[in-house]
Amino acid sequence: MSSKSVFQEEKNPRGIPKAPFIANVEEYLGGPDGAVETPLKNFQDAIAKSRKYRYMDANLTQRRKGLEDKIPDIRKTLHMVEFLHETREGKNKNDDLEDDLSDEENSDNPKKPLITTFELNDTLFAEAELEDTDTVYLWLGANVMLSYKLTEAASLLRSKLDLAEASLKATIEDLEFLREQLTVMEVNTARVYNWDVKRRRERRLAGEVKKDG
Amino acid sequence: MASTTPSQPQQINVADLDLQQLSDVRRQLEEELNHLTNSFAQLKQAQAKFKSCIENVGEVKPQNKGTTILVPLTNSLYVPGHLSDAENVIVDVGTGYYVKKSRAQATKYYETKVEYIRTNLDTLQETIQKKQENMSYLVNVMQAKLQQSQAQSSKV
Repeated sequence: MSSKSVFQEEKNPRGIPKAPFIANVEEYLGGPDGAVETPLKNFQDAIAKSRKYRYMDANLTQRRKGLEDKIPDIRKTLHMVEFLHETREGKNKNDDLEDDLSDEENSDNPKKPLITTFELNDTLFAEAELEDTDTVYLWLGANVMLSYKLTEAASLLRSKLDLAEASLKATIEDLEFLREQLTVMEVNTARVYNWDVKRRRERRLAGEVKKDG
Repeated sequence: MASTTPSQPQQINVADLDLQQLSDVRRQLEEELNHLTNSFAQLKQAQAKFKSCIENVGEVKPQNKGTTILVPLTNSLYVPGHLSDAENVIVDVGTGYYVKKSRAQATKYYETKVEYIRTNLDTLQETIQKKQENMSYLVNVMQAKLQQSQAQSSKV
């Protein structure tokens, strides 16, 4: 009778152990006379495994929700940066055309400053004029804000977005895989238990027959 | 002893209710009390928000007009700029309407809001207090009943 630890057999790419399906309960437990303790121990293993799976499930669901919230934000920010970049490109082109005319610093003709309404508070907005600079500031969280040139900012945001999207995809895959394994584990537990009940009943009946006979 | 519970839609004689019903009523009162306390906390939060709006409006002053500010374009994107309009602000008055007001008007608007919430808070506070009194009265009656029934069962 082999109480093999079946739980280290396979893992999926991100280290979630695969739950093997016990096709033949009897064989797994080592024949009809397999010791009674082994199935019990295996129930407990299975239950512990289910608990771990459930915990991981909760974790991943949380992570997925966080990512789903962040991704639209990153998209918006990237869009803004690209827009600013384009606006500047447009202005610079105009500049080149009128280079000989205006050597002074930024006077009216090619410059149309961007007026924007920004949020001071939840219900309060104010108007401001954006300076024509190629530097933007990105809030990276944890009280950290860095200044970037427009192009650097765009590439940083793009890579953040790609990372987040890939992570989200992986998390969703993991969740599905996890649900599968959880089900397999629960089915195993149920089958081993049922088989054990059946076996006890058979033993009892066999015992009674022997007594009568 | 005929005693009626104050401020209930029907005059029930509390002494007539048995322990089970008393505990039901008590549970109901507790739920209501929780609900009211939550609403109170939320109102306080909203009031604090409006107060901070008043401060913000104060910041949009003409003397700040030339100073460089970092303008938030999204949650994590800030661009340097300066105030273009230091006289007017835009206020969200609800249901998708945004109104451009002068600073004075906006301040008045927020102060009215704060005042309105304050009166609501006061009314709510009173109601909470009454409910708490009800509850303690009920608990007293319950204890009296309990003692009564214990005394009776020990006699038997």
